[in-house]
Amino acid sequence: MQSTKIYDQEHQWFMFGRDPEKPESIIDTNQYMIVAGKRALLMDPGGIEVFAPMLGAILHHAKVDEITDLFASHQDPDIISSLGLWDQALPHAKLHSPWLWEGFLRHFGMNNIEYIPIPDEGSMLNLGSVELEFIPAHYLHSSGNFHVYDKKAKILMSGDVGAALEATDSPLFVEDFDEHVPKMKMFHQRWMPSNRAKNDWVKRARELDIEYMAPQHGRIFKGDDVGKFLDWFEVLEVGLAISEDE
Amino acid sequence: MPSNSEYQENKLVALASIAAELQMVMSVAWGVSLAAKNAKVISAQAGDKGLGFQPITEFIDEISRQAMTGVEDINREALRLSKITVNEQRSADAFRRFDLVRKKNTDAQYIKSMQSAMEQVENTLFKNTQEFKKSLSDLSLQMEAMKQCMLSARAIASVSRIVTSNAQEYSDKLKVVADDLDQAAIYIKDKLLDSYTHLNNVNVQGRLN
Repeated sequence: MQSTKIYDQEHQWFMFGRDPEKPESIIDTNQYMIVAGKRALLMDPGGIEVFAPMLGAILHHAKVDEITDLFASHQDPDIISSLGLWDQALPHAKLHSPWLWEGFLRHFGMNNIEYIPIPDEGSMLNLGSVELEFIPAHYLHSSGNFHVYDKKAKILMSGDVGAALEATDSPLFVEDFDEHVPKMKMFHQRWMPSNRAKNDWVKRARELDIEYMAPQHGRIFKGDDVGKFLDWFEVLEVGLAISEDE
Repeated sequence: MPSNSEYQENKLVALASIAAELQMVMSVAWGVSLAAKNAKVISAQAGDKGLGFQPITEFIDEISRQAMTGVEDINREALRLSKITVNEQRSADAFRRFDLVRKKNTDAQYIKSMQSAMEQVENTLFKNTQEFKKSLSDLSLQMEAMKQCMLSARAIASVSRIVTSNAQEYSDKLKVVADDLDQAAIYIKDKLLDSYTHLNNVNVQGRLN
C-alpha cells in the first residue's frame, strides 16, 4: 500500500491507498493518519481486506502504541469493518464516531477500544499539538456522518464527499477538475440522498479555510479545485434513484 | 486436511447441528412427561390393579425431567462452544494478519512495536483453545450422562411392560405409556448418536490441525 505525506509541519498528515495487491472486487479506499508527536489519529481505517497492508504502511511512520485515536466517519464496511482487528492491535485506543452508530459498529467486534460518541452538532479532539474538529456531514451519505477539519493544516478529510470511482493506479491529486467531474458525478448523485443536506454541508464547508479536501475514494482536491468542487456540488441534483413521478 | 478456517467453520456447523439434533429431543421429553402424568391418572383409576405401576410413573416422570434438563445443559454448552469458536477464529485471524504484517514489512521503522499486540493475541488464542477443550470435555460428559439416562428409560419401559400385564382392563392403556417411553428413549438415543458423530468430527479435525 502506498503512503504519501500530504502535510509536513509541526504535525503530519499521511494518505494511504492505491494498494496494487487489493482484491479487484473491492472498492479502492483512501485512509488517512495525522501524527502529532507521540499521538496519532487514524481516519476511516478501512475494511478487513486492507487491514494488513494498512498496518504495515503505518508502521513506517508511527509505533503501534502511538495510534491513540481512531475516527470512523460513518458505519460502512469499507470505512471500519476492520474494527475487530484494530481492537486487538490497539486495545487502548479510542474510537470517535457518530453516536448514532455505536450499537451498530460494535457488531464488528469491539471489546477493548473505547467508543467516544460524537454528538450530532460535532465536537473537538485535542491530539496533543493539534486541535481537530469533527464537522457534521449528516446524510452525506450516511444518516450519522462527520468529516475531520484541521484548521492549522487547512485540510478537510471529507469522507465520501468528493469521492470518485477510479483505478488503483490513478494520481493522488485532481489535476484537471473538468476531466475529473465524470468520475464523481454518478457517485454523488446515487450515494447522496438529500439536496437539503448537501446544501447545508456546502454552506458549512464554505466557512472553512480549506487548502486540501481529502475524500475517502479517488483524488485529493487542492487549492482552487476545492472551491470548484463546492460550486459543482452545490448545483448538483442528488438522490436520483427515486424517479420523478414518485 | 482442512485449512484452519475450514476447520473453524466446520466446528461452528457441527455445534449448530448438535443443537438442532437435540431441539426435537426436548419436545419428545416433554411428551414423555405428559404421558407419565397420564399414567399416574390411569394407575390411580385402576386402584389396586394399578398398584405395581404407580411407582414406575414416578420414575418415568423423573426420567423425562432429567432428559429435559440434560438437553438444556447440552444446548447451553454447545452455544458456549460456538461462542468460544467464534472468539478463537477472530484471534486466529488477527494473529494471521499480524504475522503477515510482520513478515512483509521487515524494513518498517516501527515494526517491533507490534510485538506486544502479537503476544496478547497469541495469549488470547491459547486461552480460547484451552477453554474450548474444557468445554468440549464437559459437553461429552453431559452427553454420556444423557445416554445413561436413556438406557435407564429403556430398562424402566421393559419393567413397565411386565407390570402392566397385572393391571387387567387397564393394562392396554398402561402398555401404551411403556411403549411411548421406550420409543422416546430410542429416539433420544439415536439423536445422541448423531450428536456424537458431529462431536467426533470436531475432535478428529481438531487433532488433525
